[in-house]
Amino acid sequence: MAEVAHAEVGHGDAHDDHHEQSFWSKYVFSTDHKIIGFQYMFTGMAMALIGGYFAYVFRMQLAFPGNSIPFWGTLSPAAYNSLVTNHGTIMIFWVAMPVLIAAMGNFLIPLMIGCDDMVFPRVNRLSYQIFLLSAIVLIISFFVPGGGFGGAWTAYPPLSAKAEYNSTPFGAPLWLIAVTLEIVAFLLGGINFITTTMNARAKGMKMYDIPMIVWMIVIASILFMCSVGPLIAGAVMLLFDQTLGTAFFDAAAGGDPVLWQHLFWFFGHPEVYVVLLPAFGIVGEITCTFARKKLFSYKLILYSTIGLGILSFFVWAHHQFISGVDPRATYLFTTTTLLISIPVAIIMFAYIATLYGGSIRFTTAMLFGLAFTGEFLLGGVTGIWLGSSGVDIYLHDTYFVLAHFHYTFVPIAIIATFAAVYYWFPKMFGRKMNETLGKFHFWGTIIPFNGIFIPLFILGAGGQHRRIYNYQHFPDLAGADMQDMRVFATISLIVMLAFQLVFIANFIISLKKGEKAGKNPWKANTLEWITESPPPHGNFGETMPTVYRGPYEYSVEGREQDYWPQNEKPESEPS
Amino acid sequence: MAGHNHPSYLKIYITLVILFIVSVAGPEVAPAFGVFAKPIVLLTAFGIAIWKAYLVCAYFMHLKFEKIYAPYILLACFSLLFVFFFGTATDAMFANGHNWVKPVSEEAAVEEAKARSYVLHGSHDDHGEDQHDDSDGADHDDDHDSGDKEH
Repeated sequence: MAEVAHAEVGHGDAHDDHHEQSFWSKYVFSTDHKIIGFQYMFTGMAMALIGGYFAYVFRMQLAFPGNSIPFWGTLSPAAYNSLVTNHGTIMIFWVAMPVLIAAMGNFLIPLMIGCDDMVFPRVNRLSYQIFLLSAIVLIISFFVPGGGFGGAWTAYPPLSAKAEYNSTPFGAPLWLIAVTLEIVAFLLGGINFITTTMNARAKGMKMYDIPMIVWMIVIASILFMCSVGPLIAGAVMLLFDQTLGTAFFDAAAGGDPVLWQHLFWFFGHPEVYVVLLPAFGIVGEITCTFARKKLFSYKLILYSTIGLGILSFFVWAHHQFISGVDPRATYLFTTTTLLISIPVAIIMFAYIATLYGGSIRFTTAMLFGLAFTGEFLLGGVTGIWLGSSGVDIYLHDTYFVLAHFHYTFVPIAIIATFAAVYYWFPKMFGRKMNETLGKFHFWGTIIPFNGIFIPLFILGAGGQHRRIYNYQHFPDLAGADMQDMRVFATISLIVMLAFQLVFIANFIISLKKGEKAGKNPWKANTLEWITESPPPHGNFGETMPTVYRGPYEYSVEGREQDYWPQNEKPESEPS
Repeated sequence: MAGHNHPSYLKIYITLVILFIVSVAGPEVAPAFGVFAKPIVLLTAFGIAIWKAYLVCAYFMHLKFEKIYAPYILLACFSLLFVFFFGTATDAMFANGHNWVKPVSEEAAVEEAKARSYVLHGSHDDHGEDQHDDSDGADHDDDHDSGDKEH
């Protein structure tokens, strides 16, 4: 298989072919894994701007209901539903997925395992093209009559199934089509990640020498492959319900709306781990590099991750405790939900143990990595309460759930992504990002982030229900103290969004004028750091690397340098 | 990869066609066998379907010649199908809801409320209808039934 794979790479898109390429063939229709990674990353970042803008608009409505919103105008209830729905959809499917899995997986996997490209470069290109198509379909859905889909990102029927309920006759089917296309794109990408890692590793790289982030992306891809089937089936059934008049989810005609919830969450919960695992991987790499310490218990982390992946298929109904599922099933799903915190906790403890006794360098990437560990811990701990069915009956569909979810997802999709960008930017573009601006951006992101969601925890525990357009219509929720917290959260959001301009400026300035990085600016061990920055087409030039040791040999006793690249020959070892 | 000797795909195809004929013919002729009709239908329709699926996966999907992890991933996906069935069985197999609606406790609550002369609804006749309205779609039919029973 490996031989075939390499042959295909070689012949498929002519790595030997180093003649000047046009802009289109080099950056748009490229089969180079790095370019495809960038395409995913920039598309994801552009979508993040849209998702962030939507959040700004509906947060403004909640803080100052009925007022005209700068850069939007007056927000109607239908548009509010559409914005909330598409904020969730975009941030999960078009930001977290492309940036964390597709961009990082594409850019890092071939570099870290020491091969010249993905084993199926054209499938890889097709993956991005379908993803781009899905993003275009989603964006088009905002401009059709009735506006973008307004049935919440979980698309529960009957609300999502009938246009007279969600009042988005065209937005709803387009949303489903976009999500389905997006899933197809990531299946293609996932096939590449798994096959490349299993078949195209550098000479000498054994299973336990694979960097943790590569393992995490591979396991995430397997989870994704195993879990999307029900969602695609459900999406097609829902599309038929919307357009052809079938009644899979229509109780009045003998269907079952709860079935959709099962189909959705059977995918939806593993999906949480699909995006979590790459984030864990990123933070693991960064923690080791900047603590100058070996990753604490590599094998335990790996096996915990596999256990986490398996368990993630047994927890989905904890989203449905109040949807009318059998109460006996809730015992089971409460138990599995509490169990799944064990492998997550093991990984978190392993990262904290990695820090212990390390020689920590507080670079911007490391700050974001540490922030991930701390903030995700808050999200995880609040999840334990929500996983208990008794507590969930009160808290379900309140802002407590929302705040919990964002305390897990913002660390994953935003904080870990920033950590990765600050860490691998020198490898991607050959220059370092400005550290001062980076730290400014870090504190400007983390403090407002907590400012947004801590008030929402309090509001949620106080009974504030989700998906409400105007709380002034609810006497119990319209009090000045609650409204003050909403205003505080909204102002925090605006501050956080404003600080992202610092990041964008830093990104653009550093592209042009950043300090030259050289091959290995962080003195890290993994294989991507032995090649040029940015790596050339084919990654490693004439000779492909050979691997002699694991990826985390930092501060090894008896060595002059505190790092030990994976490809360095053992002869250089001091006696 | 190149070292493997692939079987003749034509042979596999012909086998599949023969199995297909058997799987169509089996249920057709089964009624003639009296008490054995049911097992014959099951074996010829579903048993042969499983065999055909195996042949397609093993040869046309190349799983027989892949590294061992590839069939393992497929088997893992397949086992998750059973996880999904198990998880939804309590809902899907009792869609009329008799398994989880608690008429006894509901009736007790109504009686208790009556005893406290706490007016739940405008009149007794409205009771079933109101319950119907409160319920979400899933237990629609059942609530209606239980409401009727109370009448």
